[in-house]
Amino acid sequence: MKILLVEDTKDLNRALTVALEHEGYSVESAFDGEEATDKIMTNGYDVVILDIMMPKKDGIEVLKDMRSRNVVTPVIMLTAKAEVDDKVLGLDAGADDYLTKPFAIKELLARVRAMARRKNGYDSEMIEYGDIKLNGGNFELSCENSVILSAKEYELLKTLIRNEGKVLSSDYLLEHVWREDDGANEDTVSLYIMYLNGKLNGIASNVEIAGKLESGYCI
Amino acid sequence: MESLYGSNIARLEEVMDYLLSEINSIRNQMMEEEGLDPVEHCLSRIKSEESMREKCIRKGLPVTTDSALNKLYDAIGIRVVCAFLNDVYKIKEYITSLPDCEVVEEKDYIKHAKPNGYRSYHLIVRVKETFAEIQLRTISMDTWAALEHHVKYKKDIKGNEELFTKELKRCADELASTDISMQIIKDRIAKLPENNN
Repeated sequence: MKILLVEDTKDLNRALTVALEHEGYSVESAFDGEEATDKIMTNGYDVVILDIMMPKKDGIEVLKDMRSRNVVTPVIMLTAKAEVDDKVLGLDAGADDYLTKPFAIKELLARVRAMARRKNGYDSEMIEYGDIKLNGGNFELSCENSVILSAKEYELLKTLIRNEGKVLSSDYLLEHVWREDDGANEDTVSLYIMYLNGKLNGIASNVEIAGKLESGYCI
Repeated sequence: MESLYGSNIARLEEVMDYLLSEINSIRNQMMEEEGLDPVEHCLSRIKSEESMREKCIRKGLPVTTDSALNKLYDAIGIRVVCAFLNDVYKIKEYITSLPDCEVVEEKDYIKHAKPNGYRSYHLIVRVKETFAEIQLRTISMDTWAALEHHVKYKKDIKGNEELFTKELKRCADELASTDISMQIIKDRIAKLPENNN
């Protein structure tokens, strides 16, 4: 895993680099905001650790800049002051987590691990339910044989499995699976439930989604 | 060289024609009921003597008329390529219910796909003491099988075999998924009230 560490205090930068490298991460350093932006735009990182108070360009600017250019790399920010406003500003600008200086290196390492878990968790999630396996990495649904689901079918099935035994209304599913897709309505949900039942049957699984448009759906 | 099929060619052709006419009959019946032709295309052949000799040898059988007609079952081969998934099963059902048609073997490689992703419904039937192999599948499955066959016999992909095999399997699983979706959309449309305009 590759980390960009943006910290203008040389000693602290050095100490954190050694600690992170000791954990097996590959670390690159930047010492001011401009250098940070250059590196973020040129290279790919898995996590960015970003100090707020820096010369040339502060951390909030760097953060806003990268988010406006659609860089979604997780960011942990380091704030000198324990002031609430600073944290709110950073989180609203697109940070995923923060640490207030002074902090224990142990805590930073734990937060980096948590961040890595979250990132990998989504990519390679493997859900098992009844006789089926659902692979979040490639949307493969398998039992005796396998089919590849569409993104919405995958989200829908995952949501139903996560809420095993609960009856979920069309409205709930529209909100959680289709979100801002304005064209979707309860007929869309009903059709996708039929797709999933067809595909569960197609891979020779015993799993079936029960329910109707009026009452809601349940696995 | 004497014919491997002996004096049985006419019988093979007769049985093949009979099966084709029955497939045509269910095809017309379904077309009348649903307004859609369930069969995209239908291929048939009597296996060439050369291929049959080669197959006997490959299977360790003596190259005789008995092997060709009674030990191997694909002297007559028919492939029915359907538009939709359910059509495969409807036509299969019709063939296996024919009174003079004995089902010798039935393999549902659609529900139980082969590990490489191959999907098709395989039937071996016996009509008037004559064996015939019938494969039924959808257009997607047929397209996939054609490309898979092409890749398998292309020599210059050595070293990339694993990648292609894996990717072809993924394509098969995507096509299978689409076949199911298309069937459901078709059924859903069929349930809509008639448009009287």
